[in-house]
Order: sequence, then C-alpha cells, then structure tokens
Amino acid sequence: MKNKRQLLFRVGAILIILAICAVMFVIGRGHTVYFDNKETSYNGQTIEPFYKVTVTVGNQKPSKLSKGDRGMADIMGQKLTMTLEITDKEGDQPHAHKVSMSVPYNMDGIMINIPALMQGLPQDAYMSEFIIETPDTGSTDEEIVTDEFDMGGDM
Amino acid sequence: MNKNTNKKASPNLFNLVQRFSVPLMFILICAVCIPLSGLSANMLINEIVTRMGRNAFLILSLLIPIMAGMGLNFGMTLGAMAAEIALIFVSDWQIVGIPGMVLAAFISIPISVLLGIFCGKILNEAKGREMITSYIMSFFINGIYQLVVLYLMGSVIPIKHGSIKLPRGYGIRNTVSLLSMRQKLDNLLAIQVAGVKIPVLTFIIIALLCLFIVWFSKTKLGQDMRAVGQDMEVARDAGINVERTRIISIVMSTVLAGFGMIIYLQNMGNIATYSAHSQIGMFCIAALLVGGASVDRASIGNVFLGVILFHTMFIVAPKAGAAITGDSMIGEYFRVFVSYAVITLALVMYETNKRRAKSAAGQQLQAAQDAEEAAGKEKA
Repeated sequence: MKNKRQLLFRVGAILIILAICAVMFVIGRGHTVYFDNKETSYNGQTIEPFYKVTVTVGNQKPSKLSKGDRGMADIMGQKLTMTLEITDKEGDQPHAHKVSMSVPYNMDGIMINIPALMQGLPQDAYMSEFIIETPDTGSTDEEIVTDEFDMGGDM
Repeated sequence: MNKNTNKKASPNLFNLVQRFSVPLMFILICAVCIPLSGLSANMLINEIVTRMGRNAFLILSLLIPIMAGMGLNFGMTLGAMAAEIALIFVSDWQIVGIPGMVLAAFISIPISVLLGIFCGKILNEAKGREMITSYIMSFFINGIYQLVVLYLMGSVIPIKHGSIKLPRGYGIRNTVSLLSMRQKLDNLLAIQVAGVKIPVLTFIIIALLCLFIVWFSKTKLGQDMRAVGQDMEVARDAGINVERTRIISIVMSTVLAGFGMIIYLQNMGNIATYSAHSQIGMFCIAALLVGGASVDRASIGNVFLGVILFHTMFIVAPKAGAAITGDSMIGEYFRVFVSYAVITLALVMYETNKRRAKSAAGQQLQAAQDAEEAAGKEKA
C-alpha cells in the first residue's frame, strides 16, 4: 500500500514536471519578427508602402520605418501585439492601430509586411518565414579550445 | 588561577587564528589591494553584489557533501556539464528568457541525477579518497561531455541552428550565445540602491536554498548525513544505509550545481562550451575555503564571506598588479596562484589537523593505560 502510494506520488511529480516543461515550451518560444514597409503584390494587386510607420512592440525601442525600410523586434510566446503609428502620405497626420496576432510556433524569424497587413489580406499575404543564412566560412573549421588545467579566466 | 586562564586563553586564540588564517590572509590582501586598485567604492560594491548573485548558489551546492563527510565535491562540475547540455538544447529550441531557464533546469535534473548516482557509486568504492576521486572523475566525465558535444550533437543528437553548430555541420561552437536569457533573472525585480544594482530575485532564490539547507540538515536524512560524516561505522551500526546516504548527498550536490550553473551562465550571457565547467569547480571550492570553511566543516556563512573576499581579490588584483608593477597580467597570475594556493593550504591544514587529532587521541589513550597500570600496581 505504501509502495503504491509512493509510486503514485512519483508518477504525479513526473507528470507535473512534464506539464511545466510543456508550458515553458509554449510561453518561452522566442521569435524574431521583421517588419517591412515595402511594396508587395498579392494576386496581381500591388500594395504600396506607407510614407512612414512606427512599430512599437512591448517595451522595446520603436522601429521607425520609412518607405522600403525593415525593422525588427524579439518576442516571447505565441502572440504578437504591436502598436503601429502610420503616416499614409507626407504631411498627413499619423493614425495609430493596435494589432494582435498569433505567430506560428515553428518559425524562428517571421517577416510581416505592414502595408499588406493593414490592407486586411489573408495571413499568407503579409506573413512569411525569414531564414537567416549562416555565413559560409569555407573549409576552415573553428578551433576547439579546451582548458582543463587552466584557471586563468574570470568568474 | 589567573595563570591558568592565560594558559588556556593563548592556545584558544592561536587555534582561532589558525582556523581563520585563510580569511584573515584574504582580508589583509584585500585591505592592501583595494586602495591600490583605485576602484571606487560604488563600482567595487556593484561588482561584488553581481558576483555574489552569480556564484553563491553554485558554492552552496558544495555544503551537502561536506555535511556527509565527503569533503569538497570536485564532482560538482558534472552538474555544471549537465546544465550546459540543457542550455545548448534550450538555445537550439529557441526557448528564451525565464521559461528557457526553467526548462533548462528541468532538463538538467535527469542528467545531473544520473551523473550524481554514477559519481556517488564510484566514491563509495573510494572511501577516504573522495576528493581526488571526484576530481579525476570530473576529467573523465569531461571527456564524455566533449564526445557528446563535439561529435554527437548535430550528427546523432539533432541540433537545428547553424549559429550553434560548428561550420563542419556537427559539434557545438566554442561559445554559445545566451543573449536571449542574459540577466533575465537578475533584472527581474532588480532594484537600485545608491547606484548599486541588487538582483532581488536571484537573492531570493539563493535565500530559499539557504533555508532549504538549514531545514534539510534538521530532517532525518540530514541527520543521517551528519552521522555518516562523523563516523561511517557508528552510523552503519545505528542502522543507517551509509552508501545510499552518501549517494544521495552527491546527487543533491550535482543537481544543485546544475541549477547554480544556469544562474551563473544567465548572468554571463554566453556558454564557453568546452571550458566553463572545468573552471567552475576550482573557483567555487577556492571561494568556500577563503570563507573559512575546511574539508570537513562548512557553513552558509563561509559561503558568503568566501564570495565577498575571494571575488574582491579577483576584482582588485589585476588593477593592483598594474599599479604596483605596471603590468595587469601580474595581478591575473596572482589571483590564479592564490586560488590554487588556498586549496592546497586548506588540504594541508586538514591533513595536519587530522594527524594532530589522531596523535592527541593516541596520547590520551596512552595516559589512560598508564593510569590503569599504575592503579593495578597500587592494588597489588
């Protein structure tokens, strides 16, 4: 009886740990979001960029994007909430929008085209994966440094 | 009577000075080096507070094996390696911030437990020579760690990101960036007091570990560890499973060292994949000894005093060296030399004290035998 209860506690503890890990996987997933204020086309329709867009994500430094510019922000979790301050044409008054959307789990880098987003087009029109190419260093490999007997570093 | 008191007082003072000779020496070194370094009080305190948050948890993980009489656990590097492996995975999966740290902590637990059990079993086969055995074991496991990280990761164990992998397509780079979790724990709830940043949450976690150690030492298992630490044979006669108790103490130390390494690395913001763990054991043990601990006796107070003194020396030595000799490398060499010297001194003092205690016990026994013989003769 005691052994059975002990086993139950152990299984319960493992399940709780696994549940916490699963939660961490979801809430801790990091993404880098790139914002484009560039011309794009969708189904033969050309979407013009704005004169100026200021994108603010959380407490991060706002990205001020002129025509053809790209900005970026790091987010954690599966939901992106940003404030867009858009100036349509030179001399116009900027108008602010708060936009929230969920982001795909499997994408590390997510590119969002702001003009396409503001046109209300479907997700595939304004969102795509941004893959960073690791620079090819040729055949030269990194030299591995191990220092078992050294204590020369700082702590 | 007065003479008697004086006679008693002087050896006590001598014993006290002898016992705290290392901290006293460090207080002297710091007292000389601090003015020479020219560092402002604010900067110095800031650095010490940062380093306390960074290292205290790791050093606290050494206390439990000392309680169980297994000396200074050089095998804590095993936990550090487990934490590094966990952090490499978490970086590759792009889990960032505090959730990334929590996940890394959970992933490190099974690795630390397995390594701890292995280490504990080996140490049970080498009773009385735990420190040297755990030291050599850390080299052995380091070889396996290098095999896993350098050859299996990326080829057998899936690693996705090119920024972590070596250009050849497998193996992990010399440095893995932890920028996405850099000082996230330290900055959460951090406060500024007179220009000094206090990482409150990190200190809360350290305080919780201190409370856990205090509580644990009063539990049945904690008392068993103390008993095993004092005399294994007596503990065995009292019905304590000595081998199991010793393994548990090493497993706990390894798991805690893993957590400590995660706290340490989030503060640094990167992993020196092949060297971070090899240095950590030495530095932590040196800091604990500087705080006045010995191979068979250590307390939470020793941890904090050690961090303050050892790291003050670490901060001021290069600047003081530059001020004295014009070359900051002298200070660098000095602090490395002192770190090793402190460990050597502590080991020598431990052996000397042990021999002295043994000889005193022998003398007492001899005196008792002589007295018995004399009494026997008188009767006859």
